Amino acid sequence: MRSSLRLARPLLRRAQPPPPARTSALLLLRPFTTTKPLPSSSVNPSEVSHFNALASTWWDPHGSSRILHLMNPLRHDFITTCLSSSPSSPQYPHRYLDVGCGGGIFAESAARLRTTTSVIGIDPTPNILAVARQHAAKDPALTEEKLRYLSATVETLPEAEREGFDIVTCFEVVEHVDNPAEFLDRCGSFVKPGGWLVLSTIARTWTSWVTTNLVAEDILGIVPKGTHDWNKYINEHELRGHFRSRVGWGAPRVLGVVYVPGLGWKEVPGSEKIGNYFFAVQKVV
Amino acid sequence: MDSILRRRAAAFVCQSCTRRGLQSRRQLQRGFSSASAQQTGPDIYDVVCVGGGPAGLSLLTALRANPVTSHLRIALVEAQDLSKLRSWKPPPDRFSNRCSSLTPSSALYLEKIGAWHHLDQSRVQPYQEMQVWDGVSDARIEFDWAGSAPSAGQTIAYMTENLNLTSGLLKRLDELGCVSVFDSARVENISLGEQTEKLNLSEWPVVHLSGGKQLFARLLVGADGANSPVRSFAGIEARGWDYGRHGVVATLELEGDGWGDQTKIAYQRFLPTGPVAMLPMPGNYSTLVWSTTPSNAALLKSLSPKDFVALVNAAFRLSPTDLEFMHTQSSGQAEEVSWRLQHTTFDHQRTPQAVTGVQEGTVASFPLKLRHADTYIGERVALVGDAAHTIHPLAGQGLNQGQGDVQSLAKAIEYAVSHGRDLGTSMSLESYVSERYAANHVLLGVCDKLHKLYSVGSGPLVPLRSLGLNAVNALGPLKAFIMNQAAGSGSKLF
Repeated sequence: MRSSLRLARPLLRRAQPPPPARTSALLLLRPFTTTKPLPSSSVNPSEVSHFNALASTWWDPHGSSRILHLMNPLRHDFITTCLSSSPSSPQYPHRYLDVGCGGGIFAESAARLRTTTSVIGIDPTPNILAVARQHAAKDPALTEEKLRYLSATVETLPEAEREGFDIVTCFEVVEHVDNPAEFLDRCGSFVKPGGWLVLSTIARTWTSWVTTNLVAEDILGIVPKGTHDWNKYINEHELRGHFRSRVGWGAPRVLGVVYVPGLGWKEVPGSEKIGNYFFAVQKVV
Repeated sequence: MDSILRRRAAAFVCQSCTRRGLQSRRQLQRGFSSASAQQTGPDIYDVVCVGGGPAGLSLLTALRANPVTSHLRIALVEAQDLSKLRSWKPPPDRFSNRCSSLTPSSALYLEKIGAWHHLDQSRVQPYQEMQVWDGVSDARIEFDWAGSAPSAGQTIAYMTENLNLTSGLLKRLDELGCVSVFDSARVENISLGEQTEKLNLSEWPVVHLSGGKQLFARLLVGADGANSPVRSFAGIEARGWDYGRHGVVATLELEGDGWGDQTKIAYQRFLPTGPVAMLPMPGNYSTLVWSTTPSNAALLKSLSPKDFVALVNAAFRLSPTDLEFMHTQSSGQAEEVSWRLQHTTFDHQRTPQAVTGVQEGTVASFPLKLRHADTYIGERVALVGDAAHTIHPLAGQGLNQGQGDVQSLAKAIEYAVSHGRDLGTSMSLESYVSERYAANHVLLGVCDKLHKLYSVGSGPLVPLRSLGLNAVNALGPLKAFIMNQAAGSGSKLF
């Protein structure tokens, strides 16, 4: 009885958002018409404290970030596909900026590639950056030259570090920021002409609510509770619309991915409309 | 054109080696394993392989031959002096007693990594037919490709000396170059590294060699055999049992090149003491693997060549009762066998040609056991080949299992490197375990059950198992399936 109550509560609490059609209208409003004074940061303080609490388990291969570790190779495959899709893509080797690098799952892996010059990972969560630095110290290949972490947001990133990135990534980040439109514009400004802005996020659908909030967090507990706020999820057509409204970006590339328990992440074309997906745009030369 | 060819060759052989000694090469290497180039810092390798047997050499060759992994900094630690293996050139009429059967899929893999043609092909013998029968009931299963199988005359496996394989692999590895080889080297100790201000190597295995050399390993591979020191270091238990049997091996000379016209035949007869197998080598040579009790093995090793030859001939022809009696005699088997054969009828064509001699110094024996490690990986540790599993030799699968391990581990390493994963972490290695563990376990189990089933000399099991063999013999498709599994070419069932 008690357990069914426990299940019912989040159902009630989270089942409240208006139907998707209205929500998306609201969400589109949120980034573009900010009534409150412009926030000094895209970072949401409650998100920061949540990820601080996760720091210790970030690199546990069987811990709560396992699902991200498993997804990481697909990010590289997606980037490779994007780079090879356009003749104006930057030549190897590449400079990366990883925004919202967390414990460094992607940043480390990008720095290890032989086709990488350097990676800068930025994140506003101090404990997590400490975890990232400690973990990088375990691999002598990850020299200072190859991989640096900065405690910064897209707003506070030092001027000297802002330009000339071949690839700017923000994986599983936009669903955690307060002002995605502004956030994406800033990320985009760090990309050099010909370079790519690559991100991944989750579509805001009933399916994604059931899988990421209800099943993953509340029932199975494979993702820590409070990781996802379904209201912040962004649909692929909203991202497309955003970049269409901006000058200087090519046609986006999108790839839906689905996590199949026991098998891992699988690329499923079309699933970007339903759940997790990668999204990339190239800055025109 | 010339430059294209050169570029392609360089990509396949070794991008770094062709530029060995150049500054750019050194910088490249430093970039990947930073501290290694500094004289004062730890000597850091991406892969340190302990054991230069078929599995270890094959793994390193695979990594060096693959453009994705060819830049990795690799070390080989081997207890024996490899110069002996490099200069291995035996006379054409002498064969080592340690031979293995390589399945077509193993051979294909060796071909893929560029090692197969480095084997002395005049010392490799493919066979296309198997004769297997029950020594108690005479029920037979004929493993030939005729009719039921994909194509007649297809190779079931290739027999060759282990030394031919390892020397071929070493030649290929030398050709690829860029491997730090520590041979005649004893592993004194394996410990974990230390944490300094900038670098935390407290999870990195450090191999201490006699003479004080220390090798830091991103991934430490245990290809160091059944008593693997690497496995002990990783705290991985290997469980199993001893069969209470010894495998007696010898190089035999036969009266002819075999019954097959253009083909060669492998023979195996299940005796209550264990299976006896005769596997074809080039020309009129064959190799013997006779699983039997330790006391029988001791007797076989003590016999004169004449009596030994007689007892081997008897093992494929006379009844278990006759054989048991002759194992009680300390000598005189030759006369005994020739007398008894006059009173025994058997099908000559389905029995190996008569053995006429045994090569001097080739009769030896080793204890048979089954072992399976609890897992094949730890943090920055992977086990391959006999370090991970030891199998009963009755199906000739031991070495092939090791090659299967290597293939899977090399693939896992390639995936890790191409996706920026740290290749030593369990996250990078877990696909290797999930691919290989269950498959190896099934094969270990099947061979174990076969051994136990045929160890029974009398009673209700004998007609039942004979019925089993006869039934299998009559069922074409099932037999084809079993043979495909034996050749390692069947569908991936496990």
